[in-house]
Amino acid sequence: MSSGARPVAHADARNPPSAAERASGASRSRMSATDATNRNRMERERERASAAAAAADPRYGAAAAAASTSHKRSASGNPRPTSRMVDERRTEKVQVTTRETLVARTRSPVRRAAPEERSRQPEPPKPRPPEMRREPSRPLEIEKPLATWEPVAALLPHTTAPLASRISIPPLASTAPHTLQPKPLHELSLDAQEAVILEDLLFVFMGFEGQYIRFAKGYNPYEERDRLAGPTWRILPGLDPSLQDLTQSMLRMATHYSALETFVDVQSREEFGSVNHALCASIRKLLHEYLVMIAQLETQFLTNDSFTLHVLNVHILPTSHMLHQIYALAHELLKRNALLDDETDESSDSADDFDHILEQLREGGDLVPGNMTGKKICKGGVVLGLITKRLESMSGDPAARTLLTSLLRDASRPYMAMLNEWLHHGGINDPHSEFLVKEQRSIRRERLEQDYTDEYWERRYTIRDHDVPPQLEGVKDKVLLAGKYLNVVRECGGVDVSLQVKDVPISFDDNRFLDNVNNAYAHANESLMQLLLTTHALPARLRSLKHYFFLDPSDYFSYFLELGTSELRKPVKSVNTGKLQSLLDLVLRQPGSIVSLDPFKEDVKVEMNEITLTKSLQRVVNITGIEQGESLQPLSSNQPVDSDKNASGFTSLQLDYAVPFPVSLVISRKTVWRYQALFRYLLSLRYLESQLSTTWQTHTRGFVWAHTSSSRNLEIWKRRVWTLRARMLVFVQQLLYFCTAEVIEPNWQSLMARLREKEAGQDSTVFSPGASAVPPKPGAKVLTRTVDELMQDHVDFLDTCLKECMLTNSKLLRIHSKLMQTCTIFATYTNWLSRELEKADPDLSGTTKPPTMTDDQWRQFQAVRSQKGTSADSSALGTDKDGDSKKDEAARIVELFDVIKKWESNFSRHLQILLDALNHYAATETVVLLSLCARLSTANQGTEYAGLRNDEDGAV
Amino acid sequence: MLAPPNLWRGPKFASRNGFNLTRRQRSVRLPPRRPVSRRKCRQNAKAGQCGNSIGSQFWQQLCQEHGISQDGNLEDFATEGGDRKDVFYYQSDDTRYIPRAILIDLEPRVINGIQTGPYKNIYNPENFYVGKNGVGAGNNWGDGYQTGELVHEEIMEMIDREADGSDSLEGFMMLHSIAGGTGSGLGSFLLEKLNDRFPKKIIQTYSVFPDTTNSGDVVVHPYNSMLAMRRLTQNADSVVVLDNGALSHIAADRLHMQEPSFHQTNQLVSTVMSASTTTLRYPGYMHNDLVSILASLIPTPRCHFLMTSYTPFTGDQVEQAKTVRKTTVLDVMRRLLQPKNRMVSTVPGKKSCYISILNVIQGEVDPTDVHKSLLRIRERRLATFIPWGPASIQVALTKRSPYIPMAHRVSGLMLANHTSIATLFKRIFRQYDGMRKRNAFLEGYKKTAPFADNLNEFDEAKEVVTDLIAEYEAAENPDYLNPDFGDKNDSAEADKRMG
Repeated sequence: MSSGARPVAHADARNPPSAAERASGASRSRMSATDATNRNRMERERERASAAAAAADPRYGAAAAAASTSHKRSASGNPRPTSRMVDERRTEKVQVTTRETLVARTRSPVRRAAPEERSRQPEPPKPRPPEMRREPSRPLEIEKPLATWEPVAALLPHTTAPLASRISIPPLASTAPHTLQPKPLHELSLDAQEAVILEDLLFVFMGFEGQYIRFAKGYNPYEERDRLAGPTWRILPGLDPSLQDLTQSMLRMATHYSALETFVDVQSREEFGSVNHALCASIRKLLHEYLVMIAQLETQFLTNDSFTLHVLNVHILPTSHMLHQIYALAHELLKRNALLDDETDESSDSADDFDHILEQLREGGDLVPGNMTGKKICKGGVVLGLITKRLESMSGDPAARTLLTSLLRDASRPYMAMLNEWLHHGGINDPHSEFLVKEQRSIRRERLEQDYTDEYWERRYTIRDHDVPPQLEGVKDKVLLAGKYLNVVRECGGVDVSLQVKDVPISFDDNRFLDNVNNAYAHANESLMQLLLTTHALPARLRSLKHYFFLDPSDYFSYFLELGTSELRKPVKSVNTGKLQSLLDLVLRQPGSIVSLDPFKEDVKVEMNEITLTKSLQRVVNITGIEQGESLQPLSSNQPVDSDKNASGFTSLQLDYAVPFPVSLVISRKTVWRYQALFRYLLSLRYLESQLSTTWQTHTRGFVWAHTSSSRNLEIWKRRVWTLRARMLVFVQQLLYFCTAEVIEPNWQSLMARLREKEAGQDSTVFSPGASAVPPKPGAKVLTRTVDELMQDHVDFLDTCLKECMLTNSKLLRIHSKLMQTCTIFATYTNWLSRELEKADPDLSGTTKPPTMTDDQWRQFQAVRSQKGTSADSSALGTDKDGDSKKDEAARIVELFDVIKKWESNFSRHLQILLDALNHYAATETVVLLSLCARLSTANQGTEYAGLRNDEDGAV
Repeated sequence: MLAPPNLWRGPKFASRNGFNLTRRQRSVRLPPRRPVSRRKCRQNAKAGQCGNSIGSQFWQQLCQEHGISQDGNLEDFATEGGDRKDVFYYQSDDTRYIPRAILIDLEPRVINGIQTGPYKNIYNPENFYVGKNGVGAGNNWGDGYQTGELVHEEIMEMIDREADGSDSLEGFMMLHSIAGGTGSGLGSFLLEKLNDRFPKKIIQTYSVFPDTTNSGDVVVHPYNSMLAMRRLTQNADSVVVLDNGALSHIAADRLHMQEPSFHQTNQLVSTVMSASTTTLRYPGYMHNDLVSILASLIPTPRCHFLMTSYTPFTGDQVEQAKTVRKTTVLDVMRRLLQPKNRMVSTVPGKKSCYISILNVIQGEVDPTDVHKSLLRIRERRLATFIPWGPASIQVALTKRSPYIPMAHRVSGLMLANHTSIATLFKRIFRQYDGMRKRNAFLEGYKKTAPFADNLNEFDEAKEVVTDLIAEYEAAENPDYLNPDFGDKNDSAEADKRMG
């Protein structure tokens, strides 16, 4: 407004008091004493002025004379009936409402032409409900002759907007008694009309009705919505057309002013947030300048004869433009706030509402008191966004540009203060929830322990996507992360790493604004990386996890399994976990093993998980379409425990790993779950391997197996058993090799490589301290490695491992578990086979030493047999040795062949199915599986299935 | 049969005097040395002169790899190597590392050498056993065996003591030659005893076989070998065959040494031994115990004779072998499959094939390279496998000792179960048969206890070896699993397909 107001101010510097008086008269109570002095001075001046002007304008002669005796406002030089001047009276009424004393002055009567039958109706002010500033129950229509016209102004109670106008709304001119109505316009001369209109305009510019210019019908000042939209004005009929148009055009400004004043009052309420408050303050300042201008114009009007409607128009043009801009902006804001009806599309609005409500429900607890409509208040970033948008669309208009720029600067200050607090200290001081980062205080970091969903990291601080100012849109993630990192650093260890930045930009139009964000981000990232990698030894942590969960090296674990065999063999329910834990501790502390050097061995715990691995993985795999986090949870929660009857300690064993706070961001529960899955998988393979190894030992060392039987068939049968065992062993070992050497290890290496990159990147920044305190040199190193990337890398690593170990595909899982089962059964029945073999072998079941044995061997064997107590039976059988027992043996052998044939085909068939499936998935999803396929196919070599495979290979 | 006892002993001195003696001679004379292996701890017993010479070399190499100094203390630079020293060592009260080794010989020369050598202080002095009369076994299996009867209590006590000191004993490693008297005879006896005493423990031997291509210096080596082979077949779980002839060839042909010394060939052997135990000493994901290594290598119990090859030998182990080429994984794996690198001289027939292979690859290796190499080997059909069983080349990737500088990026050891090893047995068998038919040199044997009554020992040994050879030959045939059921087999398979 300054540009608009300034010329006037210069021209009329002589009589500012008058302007001030007018301005204050509009909204403030005025002391009589000042009034008097002002009046005196003004009258003196006016006399001088009118004397000078008398020659030029004869009207002034009389007017000036009249003015000297009358109220200042009548001295406007307008030709008025003498009687009016004589009768003119000022009514003032002092009312004490609350503890304050105030002088409420009604303005209208001053200019009322007909004071005569005015009747007064005292109307004591009533206390107003806080939210409703205006008395709605005020009987507007009571303008019967009965009713006395006694307008009063009351002081309203405070609202949450401290500077809002507290004067009650004056009664409407249209409700004034007929006697107070002015002389119709058409009865006045053109000059008189102009003077009257000019005077009225000055009122109207300040938001009051004049005598001839009044609120249009349908405008209800008691309706906040109407006031926000701004009054429309109506000129009483009879005005000369030449004045009519001009007046009409100027009335727009009046509308804007009134609307803005209400806007400022409304939007400074508490719930609209500090950005709005700042904006309002800025607008209020402009409005104040505007009032000053009006005051100056009035002086002109009172003192300058040549002050015509056109001159007025010229003077207010720039200001009018300015107000128009602000008004448009305000209008848009109000529409967003739904404080103003959006005429355009009601339907989409309601859809928005729906979204808003949903969102609020989802976010929970974000309902701001006072936001009763349930609608989202337009505040914070959105306000800034609106201003920015307008600024962009108005960029062709220099005046508007300047105006909006300054508004934006002012409005963004509180926002920038928050931003800087967040960026440099990680704090959020945001009582009105306007900042782009939202903090959920209910999510405590203590919950990280059971947090399967990364809730702390993902949900504690989130971005309000709708509230991001456009200036921050590009860097919002950086902003979020910067503060998040600082928070983490602070929460663990209480180290304050916040940067002491002297010279922070305080508004959006600052050039260093983006640099500021980037620097803060770089610093925060660097601090957290440093914390994780150095202080909390993340790489060592990961290595330790690898020791425990990927069994690298596995030497300690074999020992543990060996020690714990007796316990682990039990059904899962009767396993003594405490005992296992102490065994594990024992093993881990054994000097000599590599893990004994691991500093984190205290954090490993033994657990039993009754759900078999395959089942739990199946469950995860089968859940689709739900957020990943949720899919992982069922493991630990309420499932019907349908644990296998066969579940033993071996199949249920799993490790847990306690991770302290900052590291637990990276090694969160959901990653530990993945580690556990991989661990259990490896364990199952390893256990099967050891079972088969035991079988191998039995086959090698057991006398029953090692001795060369005289029965050729039996020897053949033994070979088949051995070969089947060898196949299974090859299968398991190749699978284990694949999972470790080809899946886990390479992925692990690449993860470590990325980690080292990060460390390196971090080192480089450490060396250039300029990055932090001093404003950055242009092109200072760009940190691409972030903690979030690191976390993502880690999860990706685990997911890749899971996937490439075939743990994420339900079909593969099923086939694989069948195969494993087949092998397990075979291994479990080793002893049974040995017994059957002993019975079937004619050499062993007989009582005479077979020729293939030495005396020693025979003696030993006999000793063992007699210990078992089976010797009696078998020798009894043996002594009978006639045709029957021979047949018996033959039958036994046939039976044994049947058994082994069944197992052979079972294994080979399932393996073939697995291979086919692997081939399929290798072609469609996971290429690595191809190499597994190549490895496993060797296990089937020599069976009838091998032929098929080879053909395929050849074809490929 | 006319040969006086000290003829057998001759080689010892000969080797001393720098005669062109093959490694086999040395091995012949060395009595068995037996490592005892355990899962965390493995015990190592060495019997005989050959065993003891190689053994001392082996322990020296282990000490270097683990950074253990000559007095048994850890070197300053070796505090964090990611290795497990307690597999082969235990720590004494003053935290010195003591090998879990028992050194046994019936004559004192080699052991005296060890006891005065640079590494004399690392051994437990209680773990030396030297024959009382110090005359050795005279290259006579029977002599060694009968001495075993006399002294076994003392020896078994040592072994028991060591075994009790092991937290988780997995098995024993025995290091001996089978051509002489002590390693062969006493070794055989100890094998039987160990089998009785520790029926659940794995017994692995590193057995040095005599050079069958020339007569060598122990005339009666076929007798000794046959008799020892019977025990190796029946009482050991796994036998790593090291053939003196092949070792000499490797030293001469591959390493360009005209006259390889025992020291050098012993280095070859100890390199192989240390490489075959790296997965135990530098544990990784897999193959961290003996069983897991052996179980897949030895599908059928009797075919447990393994051959090895190693590449590349570098100047560190053998000075003259500096001219070695680039070492990629494929290169190493391919070279491992070449017959000339095998440490057993065999004559592969057309049907000879691998029963199983385990490649121990040391060094920085990209797993994808391994995979590619395997595919390449398969494509090129560089390795023929048994037609009836699983055909896989297993690979174990391990670290290398950080304390021994190596010129090569990658080195590899192959442990293979190959049917052609039967040809080595056959040659021994033929030589034995020739001598036996002439009843040559039997006098010395008849004087000893096992042969006091009759020569049945010989016949039983012959039968076992014949069976063994037959078993290997059978394994070359596709119908190994169904020799008699040719017709039945078809129908059976048809049935399966129907199912």
